[in-house]
Amino acid sequence: MGREDDLRDGVRVTLGRRFRILYGAGPLHLLALLASFALAGAAVVGWFERPRDVVSVLIWLAAAIGLHDLILMPLYSLLDRIAFSRLSAGLDRRREAHSGPVNATPFLRIPAVLSGLLLIVFFPVISGLGARTELAASGIAERAYLVRWLALVGVLFAGSGAAYAISVARVRHAYRSTTTPDTSGDLGPDDG
Amino acid sequence: MRLSFLHPDRPPPGPFRPEFWRSPLRNSRLTAVLGLVLLIGLPVVIVTGLLSNDAYQPGLGGNALGRHFGPLDFYLFGWPTHPAWLYALTQGLHVSVGLALFPIVLAKLWSVIPRLFEWPPVRNVAHALERLSLALLVGGALFEFVTGILNVQYWYAFPFSFLQAHYYGAWVFTGAFLAHVVLKLPTMWTALRTRREVLSPMSAQSGEGSGIEAAALASPAPAPPTMSRRALLGMVGGGSALLGLQGAAQSIGGPLRSVALLLPRGRDRPGPLGFPVNKTWAAAGIAPQQVGAEWQLELSGARRVSLARAQLLSLPQHSYDLPIACVEGWSTTQRWSGVRLQDLAAVAGVHGPATVTTTSLEHGTYGHATLGHEQVSDPRSLLALRVNGVELSRDHGYPARVISPAVPGVHCTKWVAKMTFGTVSA
Repeated sequence: MGREDDLRDGVRVTLGRRFRILYGAGPLHLLALLASFALAGAAVVGWFERPRDVVSVLIWLAAAIGLHDLILMPLYSLLDRIAFSRLSAGLDRRREAHSGPVNATPFLRIPAVLSGLLLIVFFPVISGLGARTELAASGIAERAYLVRWLALVGVLFAGSGAAYAISVARVRHAYRSTTTPDTSGDLGPDDG
Repeated sequence: MRLSFLHPDRPPPGPFRPEFWRSPLRNSRLTAVLGLVLLIGLPVVIVTGLLSNDAYQPGLGGNALGRHFGPLDFYLFGWPTHPAWLYALTQGLHVSVGLALFPIVLAKLWSVIPRLFEWPPVRNVAHALERLSLALLVGGALFEFVTGILNVQYWYAFPFSFLQAHYYGAWVFTGAFLAHVVLKLPTMWTALRTRREVLSPMSAQSGEGSGIEAAALASPAPAPPTMSRRALLGMVGGGSALLGLQGAAQSIGGPLRSVALLLPRGRDRPGPLGFPVNKTWAAAGIAPQQVGAEWQLELSGARRVSLARAQLLSLPQHSYDLPIACVEGWSTTQRWSGVRLQDLAAVAGVHGPATVTTTSLEHGTYGHATLGHEQVSDPRSLLALRVNGVELSRDHGYPARVISPAVPGVHCTKWVAKMTFGTVSA
């Protein structure tokens, strides 16, 4: 009785192990992926009602990955490096020389990145690409999106500047109120 | 059979080498935090998207717009009319949460980009299938976000039907998303529970098993930090808030509408007729004489009846505050007055539960729409003749338009020419 159970267990273990060796992961892994492929397949069946759409959709799907992963991401990483690698080194040196209390880089990078994000997301309205359809749809001929975006950029940088001034003032205040002046060092946490 | 150039210890130069990736901010904890936000937020976008499909009631009349009923073209229930702001809410959430999640998707992709170049590119069958599924996940997500974001800005840059592409694309994405959640939930959980010091690059090794994998995203040769991980998350959250607010402002409307600076619906014009429209009179291409004195509403059901505008005005008039809620995520609530659809059904000789197919003078995608018996039997569903105490303007659908609680804006047909009531065996 007990021996038979062991044997059955033994068989199961070997089968499971064999599956893992052949496939590379457990059966749940395969099931989850097959289910997702089945759903994608069902979607494509629906799509074939418009056969002319299928090819262009596939091109857009592949292009979305390629444009983002191989062009957009390297481009913004490069822009960030050009803008901030020297700048933040310079800022760090200045900060050390003047015992500046706050890391200034995020206060420049954050508004810059957010401005870029708004530009990418709202590129069609900012550049007027949707203007004709928009006029037909809403009856409003809107030309001021570029100006509005620039105003937002201004607000973001101004807000960031104000936040920087406040945090510098705060740290200076805290620094002055401490009795032992020798606790300088790293007041602006760099990594958290 | 081992190909030596595929050996994990001999990756080609460039991004295939782990030390190429220098950012000290990348680690699996960051990825897990972003993943957790998406795990909560994306289901909201997916479910509200499916609900929007339901709200269009594709099972009725020509509402499916050429989409046949394939395996995924289901429709769960008749769309309710209570509360009146239901579609304004679900679609406002769809667009606003979608916009708000876009920066998080971008940050998540940035956090895992070294994985795109992992070496060897394929370890075994499981790994190959998982990477294929990831292509559907990333491609599907970007496809859905990009087509959605372009659509709310009226730039139809794509050579395919938005409706079908966004709907079927959503299924491809949803399938890959669910599989990803099943496979990665333990990894996310481990990373969220792992203390920071354990995630140092020293413990990073390529390999399976969630414990080891939890450390694998950290750079083995990190550059000195120029900003904190907290600042990075703050930046992503800030971008999320900025975009989400654009969507929320045009959905909530009122004084908040002017905050939607970069979306086409960020403005009301003054006066009782100044609220936004989805299609102008000029764009509808209707000849002015078609809406002149000889305009008549053609009703059909058990009998055919034609009514002039004066006759419609002599029927009992009712007023309700109802929203126009567009699939693009904007909505606006106004006070509409006109004849109840119920009363018009009775004029056409149809009593009891009925559907109505409304045909517009305008020829186009939404030149006709069918409402279900839930809508027709709701006393607030009107053929509106006036709005905010004045006659409808041509842009708002003069001589008459449909308005019904909680239905998508394009089903509130403007410039109505004909209404066909059908009985429902309920």
